[in-house]
Amino acid sequence: MLKRLFLILAAGITLTVANIASADASPTDTVRGSVDSILTLLQDKELDQATRRKEMRKVINGRFDFRAMSQRTLATNWKKASKEQQQEFVQLFSQLIENTYIGRVEAYTDEKVDYPGEKVKGTLILTATADIPINYKVYQKTNGEWWVYDVIIEGISLISNYRSSYQEIVKKEGFDGLIAKMKSKIKELESQPT
Amino acid sequence: MKKLFILFMVLALPVSGVSGNTTLASASTTEHENGNPALILAATDDAGNDETFVDPDDLEDEDLPWLDDEDEELDVWDPLETINRGTFWFNDKLYFYLLKPVAKGYRWIMPDPLMLGVGNFFSNLASPVRIINAGLQGKFADAGNELTRFGVNTTIGIGGLFDTAKDHFNLKKKEEDTGQTLGFYGIGPGPYLVLPFFGPSSFRDGLGLLADSRMDLTYYLWEDTDYWAAIVLKTVNTVALDKDTYEGIKKDALDPYLFVRDAWTQYRQNKVEN
Repeated sequence: MLKRLFLILAAGITLTVANIASADASPTDTVRGSVDSILTLLQDKELDQATRRKEMRKVINGRFDFRAMSQRTLATNWKKASKEQQQEFVQLFSQLIENTYIGRVEAYTDEKVDYPGEKVKGTLILTATADIPINYKVYQKTNGEWWVYDVIIEGISLISNYRSSYQEIVKKEGFDGLIAKMKSKIKELESQPT
Repeated sequence: MKKLFILFMVLALPVSGVSGNTTLASASTTEHENGNPALILAATDDAGNDETFVDPDDLEDEDLPWLDDEDEELDVWDPLETINRGTFWFNDKLYFYLLKPVAKGYRWIMPDPLMLGVGNFFSNLASPVRIINAGLQGKFADAGNELTRFGVNTTIGIGGLFDTAKDHFNLKKKEEDTGQTLGFYGIGPGPYLVLPFFGPSSFRDGLGLLADSRMDLTYYLWEDTDYWAAIVLKTVNTVALDKDTYEGIKKDALDPYLFVRDAWTQYRQNKVEN
C-alpha cells in the first residue's frame, strides 16, 4: 500500500515537474516523462487493473491534446459541427483514444524503452522504441508546453485510422449517428468485465 | 522481435488486425473536469480521487489551422466492400470458434520457450522470402543481413529454433515480401481484399502472398497434408503467442471492419515506403 502510494506520487511528481519545466524541457523530455510514468504504472504488479487504468488516464490527459486530435479526426466535419457538437465529440473521443492507446501500450511495450531521437519534419516526431517503434507527434502550445496530437505505431497513425473510419460513418449515418455509436461503444466498454 | 513478429502475423494471418488488448479494464466513467492537470494530479494523489481530466485548453482553444493540411488523406479503394465484409465475418467466426480455442489448448500444453522456438523456426524457414525481396529492391545490405541471419540461426540457432543472430549478434529481422517489392516498383495495392483464412490483403499483396509461399522453405520441406499441417501449426502457434490483438480491436473499434482495413492499408503503405 505504501509502495503503491509512493509510485503514484512519483508518477504525479514526474508529470508535475514536466509541466512546470516544460517551457525549457525538450519535447523528448516531456514525452519521456509521461511515457515513463505509464511504464512505471504498468510494471507495478501490486496495482489492481482498475487503479492502474485510472492513473494511466491521468497521465495521458496531461499529455495528449484531445481537441487537436478531434479536429484532425473529423477534418471537414469538424468545421461543419457546432461548438456543442465539437465539445461532445472531444469528450467521447478522448475516452475511446485512451482505451485504445492504453491497450496498445500494454500489449507492445516491454520494460525497456529507448528514445533514439527527435526528428523535425514539419512538426516534431518523437520515437520511443521498445520492440515496436512508437512515434509521438507533438507540437508546442503558446505557453511553451509540448502536447501529443498523434501516436504512430508500426507506421499506423492512430488519428488517420480513426479519421477514415469516422468519416465513413458520418457519410453513412450523419454526425449524430457517429456520436450515438461512440456513446454505445463507451457504454459497452464500461459494462464489460476485464 | 517477438512482438514484431506477432504484429506482423496478426496483420497477415487469419482475421488479422492491429494491436489492442483484451486486458482492457472496464473503463470507469470518466467525468471530465476543467482544471490544470498538473495541479489536480498532485492534489488527487493524496485524496485518491477518481476523475480524469481534460485540459481546459482542449475545450476552449481555437482550432489549429495548420492541422488541416498536416497529412494527406488515407486512400482506400474498397469496391468489393460487400463481399469483403462477408469474408471478414467468416474469418471472425473462424477465429473465435475454431482457431482461438485450439490456440488456447495449445498454449496450455506448450511451454512458452517452445512456442517461441516454433515461431523462430518457421520465421527462419521464410528467410528466402526476405533475402530475395530485399535483393529485388536493390537493398543489398538488408539482403546480406538476412542471409547472415539465416546462416547463423540455422547453424548456431539449431535449425532456426533460436534467433541467435538477433540475441547475440544484434542482427535484426527486417520484413520484406513480394507485395512490398511490387510496391517498390510503383505498383499500387489495387482494391482492398479480405482473403478467407488469411485476412486483410489487396490484389497486389494477395498475389505477393502466393509468390511468398513459393519462396518459403516450408513449401519444399513437406508435401500435401504434411505441408498443410505445418501451416496449421505455424498459424496456431502464432495465435497462441499473440496477446489477443484482434479481440482488442473488436472491443475498441466502432466498426472493426473499417478499423482493420484502414490500419492494414497504412501498415502496408508504410512497409512499402521503408
